[in-house]
Amino acid sequence: MSQPVTPPSGGAFETKGATLTDRTRAIVSEYPTLVLIGVLILLILLTGAIEPEYLSIRGMRNTLLQAAPLGILAGAQTILMLTGGIDLSITMIATGSAYVAANQSPNGAAIAILLGVVVGLLAGSANGVGVAVFRVNPLIMTLAMSGILLGLFTAWTQTILQGSTQVAPFIKVIGAGSFFGNLPYSVIVWGLIAVALLWLLRRTGWGRLLYAIGDNEVAVRLAGVRVWQVRITAYTVAGILGSISGILLAGRTGAVDLQLANIFLLPSVAAAVIGGTSIFGGVGGYTGTILGALILSVLNSMLTFLNVGQDIQQVVYGSIVLALAWGYASLTRSA
Amino acid sequence: MTSAALPLRSAAWRRVLSRNGWVLGVWLLLGALLVWYSTLIPVFGQFQVVSISKNSLPLVYLAIGQGIIVIAGGIDLSLGALLLLSNAFAARFMDDQPLGIVLLIALAVITGIGALNALTGYVISISGVPDIVVTLATSYIWSGFALWVLPSPGGGTAPQFRWLFTGSESGIGGSYIMPVLMMAIPSIAVFILSRRSRLGLSIYAIGSDSVAARLAGLDVRRAKIAAYAIGGAMAALAGLATVALTGTGDPRFSIGANATLNSVAAIVLGGIPLTGGAGSVLGVVAAGVILIMLNPILSAMGINPNNAQIIQGVLIAGVMMIGGLVVLLRERAS
Repeated sequence: MSQPVTPPSGGAFETKGATLTDRTRAIVSEYPTLVLIGVLILLILLTGAIEPEYLSIRGMRNTLLQAAPLGILAGAQTILMLTGGIDLSITMIATGSAYVAANQSPNGAAIAILLGVVVGLLAGSANGVGVAVFRVNPLIMTLAMSGILLGLFTAWTQTILQGSTQVAPFIKVIGAGSFFGNLPYSVIVWGLIAVALLWLLRRTGWGRLLYAIGDNEVAVRLAGVRVWQVRITAYTVAGILGSISGILLAGRTGAVDLQLANIFLLPSVAAAVIGGTSIFGGVGGYTGTILGALILSVLNSMLTFLNVGQDIQQVVYGSIVLALAWGYASLTRSA
Repeated sequence: MTSAALPLRSAAWRRVLSRNGWVLGVWLLLGALLVWYSTLIPVFGQFQVVSISKNSLPLVYLAIGQGIIVIAGGIDLSLGALLLLSNAFAARFMDDQPLGIVLLIALAVITGIGALNALTGYVISISGVPDIVVTLATSYIWSGFALWVLPSPGGGTAPQFRWLFTGSESGIGGSYIMPVLMMAIPSIAVFILSRRSRLGLSIYAIGSDSVAARLAGLDVRRAKIAAYAIGGAMAALAGLATVALTGTGDPRFSIGANATLNSVAAIVLGGIPLTGGAGSVLGVVAAGVILIMLNPILSAMGINPNNAQIIQGVLIAGVMMIGGLVVLLRERAS
């Protein structure tokens, strides 16, 4: 939305303070990531003030254990939101993959993880075909997929997926184990995925096409790109990321159930949005999403330490998400 | 009847048909499903009509509210949370009260939640944050409030209030007149408001092209806020219908989230595109009833209720894929 340009105020009224705030505004709108880092540090310090133990790697362990799966799910949403899409089935994909991985755990961790990822591959590419070839609105396609997966897995838990709901020891180590004392392995997995995603989005043609499709799909098609292929690969990658996140979550809890990843659906979208990725496509990136996922996880820890009821937690969580999105929008719009 | 009037009239009919093809299709599908259902079970009578119509009430109300907001070019992920809030508030304060006070509370809940959602609409229009993000955040806030009002499932309402929505004071059996009326009156009211009033037409206009609407002199912000207010009021009505149906309140977050997702499914199935500015709330009513009816039909067919979820998902995706295919073929042809 274009704002009417305000005429520069007369020199007589211009104070030193005004130019200073203008300059800060300019810097801030140029590097919105700085604001996010500031918010993150502020939240960490606030949490530290409530619970002094928190300001150490040991204290932050729980936050990181939550941030890793959330950050990976939010990565999937980021990729899709860049193309103007979204995936509401991502947490069901995660839960389904975790279920398959747990079921196959007696056959060894490698097979369990592999088959778990196959779930994301299949569901993700089905989403992609629906959205790209049949032109179903992504919101509806993935919503329907979420219902289909929930039904399938509810039925399968009584038939072909009967048996183990415990995951293999190796998956537990990856999901909840630590090295150097208290740094969780799942953060390493997240870090590797983050590097891969940043490289894909910034340095490869595929990544640029994601941005281009979100910005102007018609122009990209007229330029000779097979848009449907790019979309299908985007949804498939998102599905695989969902699987990895689900397996990490299963490793963290040790056992699986059909509600495993559900609570992460809205936060996964919120993390990408707070990080500055536009839900309409074409704008954003994974750096912001990483910060968004960290902010939401720290916020969650803070609310837990505050020891208030679920009701207050939800109100505060919603208000802060709204305030961050609002602040971000007004900062970047004034640029 | 002169011979000249006939082609004219058939042309007018064809226009009505082509404009409302989707709505008619959904109602025909509902009719076909009803007929099919009646052949599946030994006795099809008042009891089945009552149970289908009253069980559809919350989803139909919520979907009408979502429909108006989507027509205005938005989307509201907080409607399910507003349903929870209305449900929790009503169950807590209506318990053991005489009918007069219960009705006053109902009125207060509808206006209050309508105003809350109008505030959401205002925030969206001044902040420049996309609808989906703002309502995602408010969905947490409202369900937090719902939990605060009613920390655990419980509460109740007046028996007469249950009769108003279900046709029976105990919520079991009863006459089909009340639930059918309670479904028809708000649907027709919102339909007439959206198609015949100045406000309704401006809601369609801003959803179709908000820039053109502003240049034509419409107050875009007012129309948007009005759409969100109507959506909120319908969500409140859905919460009241839930308390009348179940006789209690239940503030669990997942109920609200599911209700929101179902409302989005219902509007899309009912022919309102998520791009806004088109469609009609009448199709949404039939789509809402169809989504609720699938469960009894599948159980009458002897299908495991778990599979109902799969079939519902396949149905929604399938219908939308066929729609997408039709558009694709038309584009190829031209």
